[in-house]
Amino acid sequence: MDFTYDDEQKALQQAVRDLAGRNAPVEQQGDQPVGPAKHDPKVWSALAEMGLIALPFAEDLGGADASAVEVAIASAELGRARVATAYAEALVAAQAIALAGDDQQRKELLPPLLEGESLVVPALSEPGRAWSLDAYDVTASGAEGAVTLSGTKEPVPFADAAERFVVSARVGDKTGLFVVEASDAEVSGQRVKLSGTPAKALGALDDAPAALAAAVNLGILTVSAEALGAMDAALPMTVEYLKTRKQFGVPLAAFQTLTQRAADMYVSVELARSTVLFAAMRLAEDAGDSETASRLKAVTGQSGRHVGQEAIQLHGGIGMTAEYAVGHYTARLTAIEHTFGDTRHHLARLAAGLRDHEQVEVLAG
Amino acid sequence: MRLQLSEEDAAFQQQMREFFTTKVPADLRERWAAGGEPAADDIRLAQKTLNDAGLAVPHWPTEWGGQEWSQLQRHIYLQEMQAASVPPPLAFNANMVGPVIATFGSQEQKERFLPGTASLDIWWCQGFSEPNAGSDLASLRTSAVLEGDEWVVNGQKTWTTLGQHADWIFALVRTEPDAPKKQMGISFLLIDMKTPGITVRPIQLIDGGHEVNEVFFDNVRVPADQLVGERGQGWTIAKFLLGNERVGVAPVGSIKRKLADAKAYAAATKSGEGTLLDEPLVAARLAELESQVAALELTVLRVAGNSKEGKPDPASSILKLRGSQLQQDVLEFIVDIAGSASLEWASTSDSDGSDLATWTGHATPTYLNFRKASIYGGSNEVQRSIISSGILGLKG
Repeated sequence: MDFTYDDEQKALQQAVRDLAGRNAPVEQQGDQPVGPAKHDPKVWSALAEMGLIALPFAEDLGGADASAVEVAIASAELGRARVATAYAEALVAAQAIALAGDDQQRKELLPPLLEGESLVVPALSEPGRAWSLDAYDVTASGAEGAVTLSGTKEPVPFADAAERFVVSARVGDKTGLFVVEASDAEVSGQRVKLSGTPAKALGALDDAPAALAAAVNLGILTVSAEALGAMDAALPMTVEYLKTRKQFGVPLAAFQTLTQRAADMYVSVELARSTVLFAAMRLAEDAGDSETASRLKAVTGQSGRHVGQEAIQLHGGIGMTAEYAVGHYTARLTAIEHTFGDTRHHLARLAAGLRDHEQVEVLAG
Repeated sequence: MRLQLSEEDAAFQQQMREFFTTKVPADLRERWAAGGEPAADDIRLAQKTLNDAGLAVPHWPTEWGGQEWSQLQRHIYLQEMQAASVPPPLAFNANMVGPVIATFGSQEQKERFLPGTASLDIWWCQGFSEPNAGSDLASLRTSAVLEGDEWVVNGQKTWTTLGQHADWIFALVRTEPDAPKKQMGISFLLIDMKTPGITVRPIQLIDGGHEVNEVFFDNVRVPADQLVGERGQGWTIAKFLLGNERVGVAPVGSIKRKLADAKAYAAATKSGEGTLLDEPLVAARLAELESQVAALELTVLRVAGNSKEGKPDPASSILKLRGSQLQQDVLEFIVDIAGSASLEWASTSDSDGSDLATWTGHATPTYLNFRKASIYGGSNEVQRSIISSGILGLKG
């Protein structure tokens, strides 16, 4: 077992760090954008040019033949620089197509997606419903070749920038995956309304649930690594502030009530780091290991919440302002917690599988 | 980045698993797993068995019984030992005074003490804390005055764990009362517990157990050649010892063992038409603890792998803190699973029979007993200070 990066991985990390640094938001002047990230075609092209979207996919599909480990390395750097993009969403869509799609669909849909030419995002959430990999309110009907979907998906992050969607929809008592052209749907902000909208089934119905689970697992890894990057930046920023900010004539670092809490933040970040690195290795070997993905999401969810909240609190008022970066990290960590299932969802999923093992084994021979 | 153990490490894991589960008697391991006050003879037999196989002190210098293992192999060894509920080699011997004598002791001291320390023919206890020197250890007042070729020791030590079984005590004593700083003027002295003038008085704890003691020194005469290192070097030695104590102190294997027990207990405890394991709050807490313990184990492994170049990974400082927290969380979970059955204590019961499962009788005392874990070996507040000043550079 080895948690260290090889030279190639270190080079990738540095390259993405440079790219992210060039595209990082700049604060401290004028009105700062807050709220969900907007798609930035320039940044997206830069990511694609570096081959980041293609990283985990096989060469014959237009991929770079790297793995989930490289995805985690790249995503952490984007998180560190607060470059919030559709990276995780695009990877989920691409993985779903790669795993569920037939040969023709892979050949048609993947290359333009991996090259950054046409954005495909998953449309999974349904309004008024808690997160689920199963679809309930969006339904598919019609015979093969003439399938239509009806119902609403929302929120669908980056819907307004996508060319097509990978949509989960109810088929009888099962959930299938379908490809829908954005031009055929009624898209408004993050809402995708489908009413008798033409759709193409993504592969065979029976393969869809496993493919979707594996695809979302990759998404979980991507956002969790991004969260690690964000925590990795928010902690030193907080530490620096404690050293320099003076109150009562002394630096804040003179107050143990603050430094002890900073130490706890460090603990959270390091536990999250171990968990992200391990999950990346596991998912690189078995994309369908949902148990590892759920543990990852639960650990980074709790760490992210802890570090995000404390980063603001230890800063005080300045942490609340849009012109200072630390609050933006907290906002992004909060969004990540609610992306691809929150801590509660994943603990419930793990709870359902408790009887399958006596202990959690991480050391494999 | 690699997930699998190397072939060599996987074979090592098998070898350790086989040893611990076949060479250490099953009844001994069952008693250890059940909890309650550990029997001294069990600890002696376990350590002797390990030492005969060269497995009691693998981290010592090889000439004194150490093994040239990697950090990962050390982790596997500990993990397998704890998974098999084998009592670990006595920390005072294997992790504290042994490495101190091996590093700071004279050749005579090494030859005299190290073999018996490894085999537990000498049972050591620790004479560090005093009534007014806990986390602020350097305030200790027990004095040693040189008279001829003997040190005359007077004072009191406390929290002396398992001192009732001990043959020898290693003690920090003040030899230079006029030193300009309280950290200076402390020396590290080895004292035979049979020396006249030593009194051991038990301290009863809230779990009813007798685990710690007060040790009183009244004109105790100690041969001068039993001082380790230089006169006045005691603080340096103490820091070395406490540093060793913290490394690898996350008892991941035993935490995992206990958590697996908790799951079995929950599944065996009826609740309504089902069991406690069917209850969402119980199952969710279990899933949460499993995730957190896995995160700790992965951190232990990552830190072990990263310390190849000799310097410990700074993240190792979180292991004591997080390890003690999770150890306590799991024991709290077990006492909660026992619920009303935890009201009956196995150790204080005077009835002949009970229909309750044995583990429920140990649940409360064990839970109470392990509140110590966040206090000893440098309290968790001290650990946080080490992280904030040593790693984050936060100095007031």
